[in-house]
Amino acid sequence: MATKAAQEKGGTGRFSQDEKRRDSDHVSFLKHRGFRWLWIALALSAASIAGYVLIDQEPRPNGGTWYGYTLGTIGVGLILWLSLLGVRKRRINPGAWSLKAWTSAHVYLGLSLVVVGTLHTGFQVGWNVHTLAYVLMLLVIATGIYGVVVYATLPASLSANRKEMTRAQMLDALTAIDRQLESAAQPLGRSEADLVIAALGQNVFYGGPLARMTGSYSGCATARALNGMGGGSDATTRVAALLERRRDQLAQIRGALRIRAMLEIWLFIHIPLTIALIAALTAHVISVFYYW
Amino acid sequence: MAFLIRTIDFTAAGREIIRDRVVDQNSLTIGRAAENDIHLPDLAVEQNHVRIDLQGDGTLAVAALGTLGFALDGRVVTEGTIDPRTGGEISLGAARFAVASEADGRTIITIRQVVADEGKGDALRGFALASVLPSKRAMSWAFASAILLLLLLVPVASHLLRSPAKPDPTGKTPGTVLMDSAWTSGELSLKHHSLKDNCESCHVDAFESVQDETCISCHKDTGDHAPMPRLAKGSPALSPGDALQWRIAEGFGKEGPLGCVACHSEHEGPKRQPAGGEAFCSDCHNKLDTRLTDTALANAHDFGKGHPQFRPVYFASFGAAKPVRAAPGAKPVERSGLVFPHDVHMNARGGAARMAVSLSQYGKPLECKDCHILTSDRLSFKEVKMEDSCEGCHSLVSGRTAAGGFSKLRHGDIKDLAEDLARVSSGPRARVGPARQRPGQIGSASPYRADFGRPVRAYIGLSNALSAGGVCTECHLPTRGPTGQADLFPVNLPDRFLSSGYFNHEAHKREKCTDCHAADTSKVASDLLIPDLKSCRDCHLGATAVKTKKIVPSDCAMCHAYHLPAGQWQGLRSPKGPAPHYKPRPQAAPSPAKTKVAAVLATARQKP
Repeated sequence: MATKAAQEKGGTGRFSQDEKRRDSDHVSFLKHRGFRWLWIALALSAASIAGYVLIDQEPRPNGGTWYGYTLGTIGVGLILWLSLLGVRKRRINPGAWSLKAWTSAHVYLGLSLVVVGTLHTGFQVGWNVHTLAYVLMLLVIATGIYGVVVYATLPASLSANRKEMTRAQMLDALTAIDRQLESAAQPLGRSEADLVIAALGQNVFYGGPLARMTGSYSGCATARALNGMGGGSDATTRVAALLERRRDQLAQIRGALRIRAMLEIWLFIHIPLTIALIAALTAHVISVFYYW
Repeated sequence: MAFLIRTIDFTAAGREIIRDRVVDQNSLTIGRAAENDIHLPDLAVEQNHVRIDLQGDGTLAVAALGTLGFALDGRVVTEGTIDPRTGGEISLGAARFAVASEADGRTIITIRQVVADEGKGDALRGFALASVLPSKRAMSWAFASAILLLLLLVPVASHLLRSPAKPDPTGKTPGTVLMDSAWTSGELSLKHHSLKDNCESCHVDAFESVQDETCISCHKDTGDHAPMPRLAKGSPALSPGDALQWRIAEGFGKEGPLGCVACHSEHEGPKRQPAGGEAFCSDCHNKLDTRLTDTALANAHDFGKGHPQFRPVYFASFGAAKPVRAAPGAKPVERSGLVFPHDVHMNARGGAARMAVSLSQYGKPLECKDCHILTSDRLSFKEVKMEDSCEGCHSLVSGRTAAGGFSKLRHGDIKDLAEDLARVSSGPRARVGPARQRPGQIGSASPYRADFGRPVRAYIGLSNALSAGGVCTECHLPTRGPTGQADLFPVNLPDRFLSSGYFNHEAHKREKCTDCHAADTSKVASDLLIPDLKSCRDCHLGATAVKTKKIVPSDCAMCHAYHLPAGQWQGLRSPKGPAPHYKPRPQAAPSPAKTKVAAVLATARQKP
């Protein structure tokens, strides 16, 4: 009773503390602290829009008015801070300023940057370093949105695809099939044997990033060997059956690769473009004051 | 049914040892215990681990005997089925059991020991997308260095190392800084568009705002609104926010709120600089007298509510060298030196009208435009020339020429008149009567006497012409010269009466002239027919007025320009030549009668 009462009161007992920690451990970073950073980001966006509408900017709104400089300073500050997530996540430290809080702020403040950055442009774009920085920023934010979405949806299908196998087991299964295939193929003629050699020799991870993303492997030697395995002899039937199993096993591995690629591809855009954005921002800020 | 069990081992030297044995039973057990059919000395294997049963359909049922499973074709299971015809592989600890069927129908189980796969961890890396993409770090470096190099280092380096290109308003000289077009923050205004490839013609030094000096290097003749100290004194104090902004901006080399770029911000798109709004003017002019205590200008802030009465410039005395400005609200008496009753000429039924009807060049009663012709800038009117506008009726014909035409007295200079009059008296006269002479007719009408007459006649004629009642005094006022000889007052008319603003007559062509200029009732030339403020306010009120069919909201720029108040904004149709905010060129020898009032005032304004 006593612990329950303490728990209800949010007391400082060991149990309630542990409960609190367990709860917070299982709350998504998106919902962190009752969407605290979502509200902060919405407030920042609303304030920026209100300022843009209410403040008379002569001769027309752009990054060169005092309000434009203000928005630009907020924007560059946010961008630099957001890019520090990569540094923060490598330092493991607990506390109020947790990595979850940081990630939550990263996502929501990053989204509010769409508003702040767009208002900073004054809706003027052109073929110049300033718009380059703006477009890079939008691309980074777009890939970030994609990242949040796939992190929320894809892990379930990744685990469904595994069918209780680890990645190592998937590879083992393929190796087991390969060993049988090798012995089963002994009676085959030259041309069929070559097909099996090609299938066995091809790397499990054959295929470029595009093949991984789409799951379409046009040069798959196993599929080719399966197609070329003609004849009705026992040996070819056995080899064909083994090749089918190899193909199915490869399909599982490739399914895992595809989901993994979709989970990871955004970071390969997000991170390099963030660094490119910081470079473009440097050029943007320096050029503006260089030719003032 | 028999199983052929083939065990493959390796000697220390790596040689394969193959042992075959046949187990002739329908099930097999595998485990660590010695009683099993297949005995595996491997701690990872249970005492009794797996049992294989041959089923009726020829397949093998494989089942774990304990709780620990086994791997069937790589997958960990506790039971499964193998069809020996397609084969299968069981993995237990380090042993691999390959199951297949022999040609004679026996099932062969090949047992092999495998060494632990040390490269497995590496193999798993292939699952990561990073294995097929360049590293994020490499891409970051590549993108960032390309951007920094092309968009920052190349322009900065070429700017620091360049030999400066001079500003060339024709746009034929390209700039020498490379890639700086990527720095543009927007298109240049229409008038500066030719400079778009030469950034450094305006942006001279790094980290320094565009300087007035640079602007003036092309715009040498731009009129100053007022001398800089007076502008500074007349400007209201900046608000704390503005003051802070300007302090920061001046820290970066801007030249303060009175610098060129404070108003003329560039890169705002291919437009022209818009005129400042009413607030732009009234910020200073609303309470100008409180700051600029010695100013002659009255306060103004809104044409409908707060604008001083017009003060036209005019010649207040006969033959004055310079025009004066009317006192506020005074009724000026103009001493132009002319005699010209507008009402007589404009009366549609009067003598002037009848005369005009009878003349082919008019054909109908006189109208204003018969004498007053708009200048090309649509602001003012061309000088009225006696020969073009008056002489149709006020003829100076003095006789017939030998060729059959008419001779006339020259107009404009009394010396010419004197010569012409002398010629009238002494030259051969055309015959007035019949060519044939009657005897005894040598007398008053004969040319004989005139030909030999004394010169004094010419002087009498001149004196008569110039004195009251003479032909000249129809239009001119007589006076006496320095030596007492008969003379006329010079005609003194300013080319512009309202010199600190402009009035576009073209824009008002739907109005009648007499709606504003009371010429039809003016009896004497000393009436100054410039309309007053009230008559303008019939239609024009301040910028905040509500636009109706009659009321035109009018901001200051409708009549005043900033750099030269008298220079008009002419829109895009402006004729060739200097823009209207440029100072007029000083004239070589301005005669009093042709003084450009705007020029006089412009030069007066330049003096601090």
